[in-house]
Amino acid sequence: MFKELYNYRQLLKSNVSKEIRGKYKGSFLGVLWSFVNPLLMTLVYAIVFPFILKSTQPHYVTFIVIAILPWTWFTTVISQGTNTIVVNGGIIKKVYFPREILPISIVTSGLINFLISCLIIAIFLICSGIGFSIYIIFLPIIVLIQYILLLGLIFITSAIDVYIRDAEYIIAFLVSMLFYGTPILYSSNLFPAKFSWLLKLNPLTTIIESYRNIFYYQTLPNLKELGIVFIISSIILVIGYKIFKKLEKGFAEEL
Amino acid sequence: MKKKSNNEYAIVVDNVSKKFKIYYDKPNTLKERLVFWKNSKVNYHEVLKNINLQIKKGETVALIGVNGSGKSTLLKLMTKIIYPTEGVITTNGKLTSLLELGAGFHPDFTGRENIYFNASIFGLTAAEIDKRVQDIIDFSELGDYIDTPVRTYSSGMYMRLAFSVAINVDAEILLIDEILAVGDQHFQDKCFAKLEELKQSEKTIVIVSHSLDAVRKLCNRGIWIYNGEVRKDGKIDEVVDEYLKVCG
Repeated sequence: MFKELYNYRQLLKSNVSKEIRGKYKGSFLGVLWSFVNPLLMTLVYAIVFPFILKSTQPHYVTFIVIAILPWTWFTTVISQGTNTIVVNGGIIKKVYFPREILPISIVTSGLINFLISCLIIAIFLICSGIGFSIYIIFLPIIVLIQYILLLGLIFITSAIDVYIRDAEYIIAFLVSMLFYGTPILYSSNLFPAKFSWLLKLNPLTTIIESYRNIFYYQTLPNLKELGIVFIISSIILVIGYKIFKKLEKGFAEEL
Repeated sequence: MKKKSNNEYAIVVDNVSKKFKIYYDKPNTLKERLVFWKNSKVNYHEVLKNINLQIKKGETVALIGVNGSGKSTLLKLMTKIIYPTEGVITTNGKLTSLLELGAGFHPDFTGRENIYFNASIFGLTAAEIDKRVQDIIDFSELGDYIDTPVRTYSSGMYMRLAFSVAINVDAEILLIDEILAVGDQHFQDKCFAKLEELKQSEKTIVIVSHSLDAVRKLCNRGIWIYNGEVRKDGKIDEVVDEYLKVCG
């Protein structure tokens, strides 16, 4: 598998850059939209929550920016990744290339966007006076775990979407539900203690909390939980890859 | 790609059958899948039946036959776009297929950008493309148009560019589906000469074609597919003559 992907590395590269540049082609702000969008979202929540819901979290804007940017990476990858095989049906029916290039390039372009948007986090950390701590060295590990989780998930969803087109809509609904089931706008200790196990079932909880630990609280992330999420994500990736490989043989006929 | 012990073969088709599912109402949504999950009428159409072929390295093979006989399906199986229902196909060497020209061209990108993108679909690295890009542009005779977006091209220019990319990627095995009729007479002659040159340089070429005269000149082996089975396999002239006798 790795040898073939290596042989096709140029395709992966040009696909990633097509993903990043092509997405906002024709719009005035172009690539900047990838950053303007989450900022606008943050702006809305920053207005709504402190005023209406009387949130008492200090530096609330920074608090949610740190969570919204990784969430944006998650949600754009899931929504674009789920129909990537269907959208690229034209090429799939006519040319052979390793099909896993398509989901991999979606996650990778999301990763690049996220890494650039970490600059936004940095700006907020400086402006709010929180500053930086040594725990930032954990950032690559958290990013890697999120990458593995995302890749595993869209291996599954992109392959299933070819056979059952409803998958896109069901997943879009689940993702918007998940937004509230993940401590993005609130801190996980505000969640009713009775249901906190529910929150813990969601691997994104640990990932988002870890980002917050290293940036906002400036503490060590919960390494035990992070380790568990890493193992779960790896299992999802392996299973997802198997499912993808099994279903890919029918892609050209089903599309 | 698995290596077979007999390295003289470029393509080995071993007991291959291919069935297509024919749905009368294809259940594409969950609702349809749930409601009709038992009574969706599925028929199987057997396109290829128990095909056995060995194509040696350096051979130039023509697949001929009437429409719907399964030639293109066989070619698609060789490129691994679709997979056989039964049997195994082994290919040995870098493979390029020209099933449909310009697959994967992005209309908003320039001809040059599309060369890079298209060649990367065939598995070339940036350095390898850099080396060939001038050859490709020269071959396509697009001149200055190469730096304008592909959507402004005429269909002939589009085809010329696509053919130039595909033929210059240096594959060891070339699978071609009825595309000898590209562009005007001048460009056709040029393509033909290029194929002739590739043939001399020991490339394996498999062509699906209805232009029997062209095939007679270019190929040294003919395979006549009839109703999903190999009807005759042998020297090109013998196969074409027999084919014309029966179907002509």
